[in-house]
Parts: sequence; structure tokens; C-alpha cells
Amino acid sequence: MIDIARWRYVLRLAFGLVLACLGWLVQAQTTELREATATVTVQGQTTQQRVSLPYHWDRQHPGLAGEAMFELPFNLQAVPSELYALYLPRLGNAYEVWLNGVLIQHNGDLKQGNGPDFAKAPRLIEISPGLLSTRNLLRIHIRTDVGRRGGLAPLSLGPVDEVSTQYLYDYHWRITGSLVMAIGSLLIGLVVLGLWATQLDMSASGHARRDPLYLYAALAQLSWTLNVSDAFIESPILAWPWWGVVSIFATAMWSSNIALFCVEVAGWRTWPAVIWLRRWLWMLLLASVAAAVAALWYGHPQVLTLLYAMLGLTFLVFAGVFIWKAARGSPLAHRLVAFAALLNTGVGLRDVYSFRISQTYGGNTWLRYSSMLFGLTLFYIVITRFRAVSRQAHDLSVNLALRVAQKEQELVQAYQRMELLAREQERTGERTRILRDMHDGVGSHISTAIRQLESGRASSGEVLHTLRDSLDQLKLSIDAMNLPAGDITSLLANLRYRLEPRMKASDIALCWDVDLLEPLARLDDKAMRHLQFMVFEALSNAMQHAQARTLRIELHGTSKGGAQLLVVDDGCGFEPEQVKRRGLSSLRERAKAIDARLQITSAPGQTVVEIMLD
Amino acid sequence: MWRVLVVEDDPEMREFFSSSVSRCAELQLAASVGTLAQARAWLDANASTLDVLLTDLGLPDGSGLDLIRHVAGLNPACESLVISMFGDEANVLASIEAGALGYIHKDSTPGDIAQTILDMRAGESPISPMIARRVLMKYRADQSYKENRPVTPFEYAQAAMNNVASDDARKSGPGSVLSPREQEVLGLIARGFSYAEIARLQNLTVHTIQTHIKNLYAKLSVHSKSEAVFEATRMGLFKPHD
Repeated sequence: MIDIARWRYVLRLAFGLVLACLGWLVQAQTTELREATATVTVQGQTTQQRVSLPYHWDRQHPGLAGEAMFELPFNLQAVPSELYALYLPRLGNAYEVWLNGVLIQHNGDLKQGNGPDFAKAPRLIEISPGLLSTRNLLRIHIRTDVGRRGGLAPLSLGPVDEVSTQYLYDYHWRITGSLVMAIGSLLIGLVVLGLWATQLDMSASGHARRDPLYLYAALAQLSWTLNVSDAFIESPILAWPWWGVVSIFATAMWSSNIALFCVEVAGWRTWPAVIWLRRWLWMLLLASVAAAVAALWYGHPQVLTLLYAMLGLTFLVFAGVFIWKAARGSPLAHRLVAFAALLNTGVGLRDVYSFRISQTYGGNTWLRYSSMLFGLTLFYIVITRFRAVSRQAHDLSVNLALRVAQKEQELVQAYQRMELLAREQERTGERTRILRDMHDGVGSHISTAIRQLESGRASSGEVLHTLRDSLDQLKLSIDAMNLPAGDITSLLANLRYRLEPRMKASDIALCWDVDLLEPLARLDDKAMRHLQFMVFEALSNAMQHAQARTLRIELHGTSKGGAQLLVVDDGCGFEPEQVKRRGLSSLRERAKAIDARLQITSAPGQTVVEIMLD
Repeated sequence: MWRVLVVEDDPEMREFFSSSVSRCAELQLAASVGTLAQARAWLDANASTLDVLLTDLGLPDGSGLDLIRHVAGLNPACESLVISMFGDEANVLASIEAGALGYIHKDSTPGDIAQTILDMRAGESPISPMIARRVLMKYRADQSYKENRPVTPFEYAQAAMNNVASDDARKSGPGSVLSPREQEVLGLIARGFSYAEIARLQNLTVHTIQTHIKNLYAKLSVHSKSEAVFEATRMGLFKPHD
């Protein structure tokens, strides 16, 4: 037992020693000044009292402006050899700092209120060597505006290195951090505003519609920029308290738009309850202005506290519903936003408590940092949306390429079918032409020859004539395949060549007066064949029936680019209207078919068959 | 007395042509056969004695065109005539290029047949306007291909038919297959003029024109051979001698 008691004693001794050493190391020379004598002047009445810092003016004198002189005497064990500094976490809104009767720093106008605010930033004052002695007096003179968080926080005095560490830590959290957040919010806000302005949703009911999600997010971020930037703007564009009103309104704007953003994320836009939510948020917005005026102008800070409490309560309920819904299998975006909302509501309530209800003076709001979560979730939403859109576009283009390929294939098939059809048609046309030639030419000639032989009345010469005609016709048919379309000169030349043996046999002198004509475009293969038949028929008639001695074939161009074809014989002639020769009617039919004018004039001594092609 | 070989697969036709030859005092029927093989065998033995080959194109064991080339190799002095049913462009041109100097229609009279053979030996060759036209187009196409002149064969044929003895026709250089005079004559034939009419128009004798045409036949056959060599060289089938 004795041993145990002894050991306990030793342990306690060692522990105490270590603590003492640590305490000495950390707080070796830095002195915190908390006790002061304050001479306060409010509404013309001056009172003096001993106070313990922090001195939170708005709590001591709610709704009132005024000034105060703090006297903080302190002793040092020795005059410090190293460089010392004084750290003031918060004071102002305007101030003068005197040490041992020397003004070491001042900011703002101590006489004129509602100007720039110098209470926002922490202050570090390096003390010139020689100014400190073992007995010192620090005098701090401040002037404060209504609801502007003026006053004096506990001060630290010590070597520059030690004090500035604390100062920098506070400075970064309050000023640098706020600056970063403000810039971040501004960038996000502008980008999202750009998205809202440019991204038109065409799919919904054909109308180009902007997505309100982007608008709410942009307004929230921009309001937040305004709100946060108040932390480092000492000289705002508006005088106090209007700047304060703007700042409070910005806070309300931010929270309202965040709520509406959440509604869009969750897809609750058409819910009847959302209409009421909107009305409530509008009301809160208007109330925020009223509360700000009441607190900063008329000096009733509790109204503002009430507003913040209402905002906090609203979000507590809203976030509750939102999170409850998110927990029931909503998309990831909804859940992320729900998490951000939960965190921010918690942080917001903490801030309201810490700044409006508890006595915290020198601290910092946390909401400015936690609010960034909304920006991050927004990024997530935008990225997933763009991914979805680009995937859709990709699918669409793949789909389109497939369909184009399919159409191409169909087109090729259709073209092949058409080609096949055209070839078939060509073959059919060719077959029809050959059949017609056979029918009109060889066929009819052979059947005539058969009839002639059967009847026994025809001479062998007549039968021979029929058969020769048939063969000539066949040759002409074959030649017609190679005749250039519309070339009447070649047609006549060929005809002459084919009929040359007959002419020789019939002892008829031929007079050839054929000009070289340009091919007539309007004569196609079929028309050429008709024309060949017609000339053949005319020549045949002249040689067979006319007992002519000379036969003249003429071809001349007309002034209109047509052709005039004449077959003239000096035979016995005939009466064209009375003679019903099969050949003549065939001539007329063919002339009609090729749209040629046919004129036959016949008298003893001259028969003219004229074919005019215009 | 010209010795004639008749090659025709249809016995009746063969008999008809054989008798048409036999009946003519100036012609002697050397032989008449019905297949390409028989004709080749006969030619291999007797080609040197032959003056005229009269052959059908469609033989049961091959084409008469091969026979024409065959006899030209064995006896260049022997002249070939083709028996053609229709005297159509494609067959006639192919025959000319194989070396034939004329063609006889199957429906010709026996007198015509003998006369055509005699005319050919006398230096006459028949040519139809269609063939004339086609020859103009074909050889002009070759030339414009070689000279890179953008003239369509059709335009050229039209021009040749039109420009009777024109300066333009004479401009063709020595390199062209057809002489200017030949082109003029072909052009007029294509327009349907007879030899007599052309002779009058050109101040030539009919005989001169006939000589032109016969020369043309020979040229076309030679040209078709050199053309084959030219094409083969162009396609890289063999290298010409250095």
C-alpha cells in the first residue's frame, strides 16, 4: 500500500513537471490581456467600469452606436530584447491603439459613424523596440456602429514569431478563406448562369426551355459571393446599415435559391407543396429585408435573430423531408444534395447559435465553407448531365450511321432492280422491234410466197421477187441496228447499196442527189426503221409498178433544220386516192408514226413521193 | 484461169457455189470442202496452187476467219472472199481485218458470184456505205487516240463524208493509216455515191477508185495485225526488238 501511494506521488510529480514545462514552453512570453478599464460613451452619457474582454458592443448596448476607451495596464518582468507584437483578433469598427502614450495604429474615423468597417480583419501590430518597458499602459479607443459586431476581443502580446502564428491562422480562416470561397462561388455562379442562358432543352413539348435548376444554382452562388465577400471588404459601396441589409438579404437569397435548387434536383417542381414552399420563401426574403432594417436601423437585433431562426427551422424541416426522400432510393445527385443540405443546415444552426445567441465575439462563420458542398454537387450534376448528353449524341450518331448504311444498301438494291428492269425493258423493246420487223417484213413476204405457190397462179418470177424482197428487208433490218440515229444520209446510202442489184436488174437509171445532213435529233432507232421502210416502199413501188426509166432520190436540209426527202420517177403514174395498194397505206401509217408529212403526187411521166421531216 | 477452193458446210450451198465457179470458163474449181479441218488439210497440201479462197464464216469446227489467215500465211498471192448471208458490218469488218478482199452474198446469182471473183482478181473490191463509214470512224478513233485530239469518231466520219477533196482531209500526215485520197473516197462511198459518180466528182477513173479500195483492204488487214502488236506491246505482253 505504501508502495502504491509512493508511486502515485512520483507519477503526479512527474506529470505536473511535464505540464509545467509544456506550459512554460508554449506561453513562455506571450501574454494575453483580458482585463481593462472601459470608459464608454453612449447617447452622450459616459460611464467607467472594469470589464473582462471580450467586450461585445452589440450585446452590451443593443441597437446603439457609441465609443469606448479601454485602458489595459500591464507589467513585464524585463524589457524584451527581441521584437514584440500585439495581436488584436477583433476591434473597432474604427479604432486607435496607443502604447505608453504613442499611437501605434489607427483605422477609420472616430468621430463619424457608419463609414468603412475595420472590425472585420484581425490586426497585428509590431511594437518598435524601446517602446516597451516593465510597466506599460495600452489604451484602445474604439467607435462602433449599430449591429456591426464592434467591440474588443482579448489581446495577445508577445514575440513577433509567436504572436504572428496565431494572427496568420486567424487571418487565413477569416480573410483568405473567405476570399477563396467568394472567388469560387463567383466562378461557379457565372458558369452556371452561362449554362442557364445557353442550354436550351428542346425535348420538352417542343418549346425551347431553359433549365431553372441552373438559374437557382447561379443565383444562390452569386448571392453567396456577395455574402462571403463582406468578410474582406472594409469599404463597401453602400453606407452602413444599407450594406448590412444587402448582406442579410443575400443570405436569405442564397438559402431560398438553394431550397429551390434542391426542389429541381429532386424533381418536385410540380408538387402542390412546392407552391407553398415558394410562397414561404418569398415571404422569408421580404422578411429578411424587414428584419435587417429593424436590427440595423431601429436597433432590434432580436428580430434578425428570429429571422435566422426561421430560416434555420425552415431548412431543418425541408432538409428533413429531402433527406427522407433521398434515403428512399433516389438518384445519387439527390442523395449528394441531401447530404450537403443536412450538413449546411447543421452548420447554419451552429452559426446562428454562436453568433446570435451565445457570447462568441471573435469567431468565424462555418457556413461559408460548408456551402461550397452545394457547388460541388452542382458540378457533379452538370458533369453527369453532359455525359448523358454526349452518350446520347454518340448513340444517335451511331444509329444515324447505321441507318445511312442501311438506306445506302436499299438504294443499291433499288438501283440494281431498276437496272434489271431497264435491261428487261430494253430486251422487251428489242424483241418487240424484231418481232414487228419479222411480222411486217420476212413473215409477210414468206406467207405471200407460200400463198403464191399454193394458188399456182403466180409465176416463179413473182415468187422469186417476193423472196428477194424478204431477204432485202432482213438485210435492211440488220443494217438498221447499226445506223446512227437520225443520220438520214447514211440511211439512204445504205438503202441504195442494198437495192443496187435490183436497180441494175430493172435497168433503171438512178440519179443521186443526196446532201450530207446533220443527224436529226428527233429520229430515234424506231423512227429510223420507219423511215427506212417508207423509202424502201417508195423505191420498191417505183421499180415494180411504174415502168420508170429514171429514178431520182433527193435529200435536202430545210431552213428550220429539218429534212426533205424526195423519191421521183418518170413512170406511168397512178391515182393515189384510188389506188388502194397495201404499201401506200403502210406509208401513211408510218409517216404518222414518225410525225412526218407525206405527200404523193402522181401523173403519167412523174410521180413524186415527198417526206418532210420538220 | 483462177483456181478456187470453196469452203461451205451446207451441202446445197456448197454445190451452188461450186457449180457457179465451175460454170465460169475463167475459173476452175480446185476443191470444195465442208469443214475447217478438211480445208486446212487441203490447203497444207495444195495452197501454192490456189488463187482464190471462197469461204463461209460459220463452219461447224471453227471460223472461216482462221482459214483466211492460214492461207495468207501459206500463199500470200491467194486472195480470199467471204460468203456472207447479210453482208453486215461486224462480219465484213472482221473478214477484211483477217485479210479477205471482199464478200459474196448468199443470195447472189451464179453469174454475180463468178463476176465478183473475177472482179476481185482484176483488182476490184466491193464496199458498202456502212462499212466505209465504220472504217472511217474506227481508224480515226485510233488516230485521235494516238494524237490526243479531242475529235469523236462520229464527227470525223461526218467531216470525211462532207469534205470532198478538202484541204483538211489532205492535211493528214504520212503517219495516218488512210491517205487523204482514201479518206475522200471512203467519205463519198459512205454518202451513197457509186464508184462512177465518185470518179466523176474526183476526176479519177473508176479503176483508180477500185485500186484505192483494194489497197484499203490490204491496209486494213495489215493495220489490224500491227494494231495487235501495238496493243500487245502497250499491255506489256512482249517487248519490241531494240
